[in-house]
Amino acid sequence: MIIDAHVRIGPGRSAALDVAGLTATMDRLGVDRALVAPGEYATAWDNRAGNDLTTTAAAASGGRLVAYAVANPWAGADAVAELARARDLGARALSVDPALQGFDLLDGLVDPLLAFAQESGWLVYVRTGTPPHAVPLPLASLARRWPELSFVMGRSGATDFWIDAAPALRHAPNLYGDTCYAPWDTVLSEFARDPEIGAGRLVFSTDAPYTAPEAELARITGWPIPDDDRVAVLGGTLARLLG
Amino acid sequence: MIDFHTHTPAWNTVSWLGGATFGADEFVEFMDATGIDRAVVLSHDGLFNPTPQANDELAAFVRKHPDRLTGFGTVTPRDPNAVAETERMFGELGLKGMKLHPWLQGFSLHEPALDPICEVVQGAGGVLLSHDGTPPYSTPSQLAALARRHPRLPVVLGHGGLHDLWREALAMIQETPNLYLCICGTPPYAARTILAEAPPHKVLFGTDAGLSDKASQDYAVARVREIDGWGITPEQRHAMLVENPARLLDAA
Repeated sequence: MIIDAHVRIGPGRSAALDVAGLTATMDRLGVDRALVAPGEYATAWDNRAGNDLTTTAAAASGGRLVAYAVANPWAGADAVAELARARDLGARALSVDPALQGFDLLDGLVDPLLAFAQESGWLVYVRTGTPPHAVPLPLASLARRWPELSFVMGRSGATDFWIDAAPALRHAPNLYGDTCYAPWDTVLSEFARDPEIGAGRLVFSTDAPYTAPEAELARITGWPIPDDDRVAVLGGTLARLLG
Repeated sequence: MIDFHTHTPAWNTVSWLGGATFGADEFVEFMDATGIDRAVVLSHDGLFNPTPQANDELAAFVRKHPDRLTGFGTVTPRDPNAVAETERMFGELGLKGMKLHPWLQGFSLHEPALDPICEVVQGAGGVLLSHDGTPPYSTPSQLAALARRHPRLPVVLGHGGLHDLWREALAMIQETPNLYLCICGTPPYAARTILAEAPPHKVLFGTDAGLSDKASQDYAVARVREIDGWGITPEQRHAMLVENPARLLDAA
């Protein structure tokens, strides 16, 4: 069972993916399921159209696609209402992007959305990287405030905040690392051999359309780790988090 | 094919990167297996301790295969001996460029101490390559400002802006005549866009090989293989891997 923890569909800058392109890639690579998030335009601005796109795709997929919902935290109660609408349409996880949506992980804006995710039993994906309000350690502190939620640290701080990803994973046991872009022979092996982290805290994603998905999968299938660990990384852990 | 961004092993430094030790012969074996004809090699210890010893050890490494390996040394810009060490790099040691890593080495690219160093690099016909893509001290715009202060010095963005600053990197090489961009750790969609929109002679490629836990440099092999999935033209690929780096290195 291979589950892709994060792709984006719909319009974005410099890259875009449609459902037909995604499912063709999944067929070619043997990916069983994928969690689909709205693209950049919908994440930043047109949340409703993005949630319609992901939930429609999921509903038509026979369970193969799982919809993330988005809502800009600045919309306050309207954001929560949009998430509720998306849940009614079948969304099963929350995706937030502090850089695209313009908030600080610890400023409180996102907390009503997290409360909704907790009430709904949703997984939460948070996009991280080098923007100062999207680096790994504040996400770990946020995760500690919400111990009943599971957070995926999207991109694991790629690239120069990979250094911070390990202390973030140690700080918050409900935080999971994302494998995309990360070489196994430098970054991922450090996570896997750390007794406070381990391969069971990593989830595979292709992060399409920003990547060459076959290269993302090959990096995990070529990683010399025990089979049980690979099963966990490629989908076992995520399946458990999705419930 | 020329790999414009590789490293020696770290012989004297313990860092967050594990890193295998390997010799120059083993490194050339990796290059042969990956289809890399020539490589720009940067010190690994020098990222953390930019000392004359780091340059000596880099020079000894590349000297074993001078037709395949080209060394770029490094200095601490504020060190009183930095200019003299730069002269030694290009003279006695036979190195061809300068590598800077502002956030690891702890300086700003706007510091005047860099100017006499850049003048030596330019006078020797060398190339300056810097880490970029990481705020606060390694942004493409900061490196472009240094390039404007030294308009005849070829300056290379060592990582093409990485994930969050690649658009800035592209804009900087479009507006700065002597600024070049090495795609190295830059995501594939960014690489594709950069190659479509950049001046065609300005884009290079690097694997960052040398930091792996394995002497076989598995991630670097994967990065070369990944180019097949970028969706670029054969002409763009050839310019990036062959023509552009050869033009810069052969002038050095």
